[in-house]
Amino acid sequence: MAKSVLVVGGGPAGLAAARTLGKLGIPTILVEKEQKLGGRPVIEDYHTLIPRKMTPQQVIGPFIEEVQNNPNVDVKLGVELEACEGEAPNFKVKLSNGEEHEVGAIVVATGFQHFDAKRKGELGYGIYPDVITNLELEQMFSREGKLYRPSNGQLPKRVAFVFCVGSRDRQLGVTNVHCCRYGCALSGLQGTEIREKYPDVDVFCYYMDVRTYGTWEYPFYWAPQEKHGVRYVRGRIAEITYSPTDGRLRVKHEDTIVQRPAEVPMDLVVLVLGMEPSEGTKKVAKVLGLAQDPDSQFLVPAEDAGSNIISNKTGVFIAGACKGPIDIESSLSEGEAAGAEAATFIGAKVSA
Amino acid sequence: MAIHERSLVDPERVLRKERLVIDGVDVSGDWNLIILPRVIQDYDLDFLNEVLEQPEGKTILQCYQCSYCTASCPVHNYWDERYNPRHFIHLARLGLIDELQKRADVMWRCVSCHKCTHRCPKGVLVEEVLKAILRVMAKRGVIEEYPSKKFDKFFLESVYEYGRIEDGELLFGWIERQGYQVVKDPILKKPIPFVGGVPEWLKQLAAKPLKSMNIGFLVLNAKHMLFHPKTKNWNRFKQVLRKVMEEEGVFAH
Repeated sequence: MAKSVLVVGGGPAGLAAARTLGKLGIPTILVEKEQKLGGRPVIEDYHTLIPRKMTPQQVIGPFIEEVQNNPNVDVKLGVELEACEGEAPNFKVKLSNGEEHEVGAIVVATGFQHFDAKRKGELGYGIYPDVITNLELEQMFSREGKLYRPSNGQLPKRVAFVFCVGSRDRQLGVTNVHCCRYGCALSGLQGTEIREKYPDVDVFCYYMDVRTYGTWEYPFYWAPQEKHGVRYVRGRIAEITYSPTDGRLRVKHEDTIVQRPAEVPMDLVVLVLGMEPSEGTKKVAKVLGLAQDPDSQFLVPAEDAGSNIISNKTGVFIAGACKGPIDIESSLSEGEAAGAEAATFIGAKVSA
Repeated sequence: MAIHERSLVDPERVLRKERLVIDGVDVSGDWNLIILPRVIQDYDLDFLNEVLEQPEGKTILQCYQCSYCTASCPVHNYWDERYNPRHFIHLARLGLIDELQKRADVMWRCVSCHKCTHRCPKGVLVEEVLKAILRVMAKRGVIEEYPSKKFDKFFLESVYEYGRIEDGELLFGWIERQGYQVVKDPILKKPIPFVGGVPEWLKQLAAKPLKSMNIGFLVLNAKHMLFHPKTKNWNRFKQVLRKVMEEEGVFAH
């Protein structure tokens, strides 16, 4: 019986799984498609992570370091899982670099990808330079350290956040009807960051409902509104247009509290992107025969399992955003749980 | 042409022309009715800042539009649904002045039961916030100073001048401030009770307690109305009061 574990994906969940397995002394292979560990937050330069308001370096950095320095973990960058034969606990896996390995368990942590905002043509992304995504706003903060309008480089007077772009939307097909879970909270945080640094910039959040669930309610909804004066307007933005007379954008919506249509001028519009399963997640589902949600294509846990890291296939554990939208700290905990579960599955004894 | 959803169309937005010619084409008849758009073109964000400058307005930012206040409000529930504290807060925060102005006739109707303030899950001091909104509206000339405020002012003036109030003078003086025609005596220029354009309901309201009063009390009241007595040593107290009022910025004279 094979005594090693394969971890697919080097983002938060995969790193956490590999770290746990390595610390337990189990030979672990970590494959990552990109040339860098850390997943979306590190590769795409997120600025501040919810809910702990720490940088990706602070949160994920220690995991990367531990995984790279642990002799039990074999990190393979630029490598994907191509094929898998056999049943648990004797999987024969084939990697894209030609290597073949025998592993006792597999942890899948292949993550998500951001929604492509160009698919919502009416919102003008890619047409008007001042319509940006919340990912681009993060990168504006992290890479350039300042807020500006891409069209003229000046500080905007007003910023609008458009919630639920690529989420809760049947118009995109059945694939995007779910809630992205992080968008409301991240917008509250980004709004706070803008207001703290530029108190004269007015920030508006256009929402249908604000889903800062659990303990996120105060820091990411109440505090932005009460302490920082972020304004919330109920009504989904239906169209974004540009007025050449004043060079500003117009956000077209109905203020559903006032029950009146509105076309209000804005200088910078931020689209709050939904989450979709990554290409890697869809591919690994086929390779390993994992159950997927028929609509969203995210992986789904086994029907008879109470824990959501147990997949429908014995010996395969799923963690993080490959199962649906999730925040970083939960991704890390799920990775740790999946790593520990994989270790018990292969019957590893903790060395003294 | 019939107007559908009539409730959404304010009368002032409906233009009806007898003869209408556009670009030389006579479109009278079916097309002579124009409804101006009701689109919100912009916010007036200074309005909120002015509310926040008022000491009572600070908690306006805490509202998250749950409508606990409106559901509790007796004025909303038993008098006029257009009196909606939650809605006023939303309108004030975005500075939708025209919407506030539409409700100017009901906005001062708060009965100060404070159910809204006691129940608000977010700790908004609703009743105070609405007063702050009203004050900013009055300052901007969007709403007339509300009638109860006129009474407060008259009451304060009376106390300031004499150190005490006189019931009769307060009642009939207030009626005068409300804009009703009153008849004054030629010598002391005081309003003569129950003479002039005083509304019937007010006459009845005032007559009821008068009937149960004894003659001596009525004579005393009338005497005080004509020759307003002062509290003993009031002029010295007045100076102290004046100083305090000046310090607190409420000096109205």
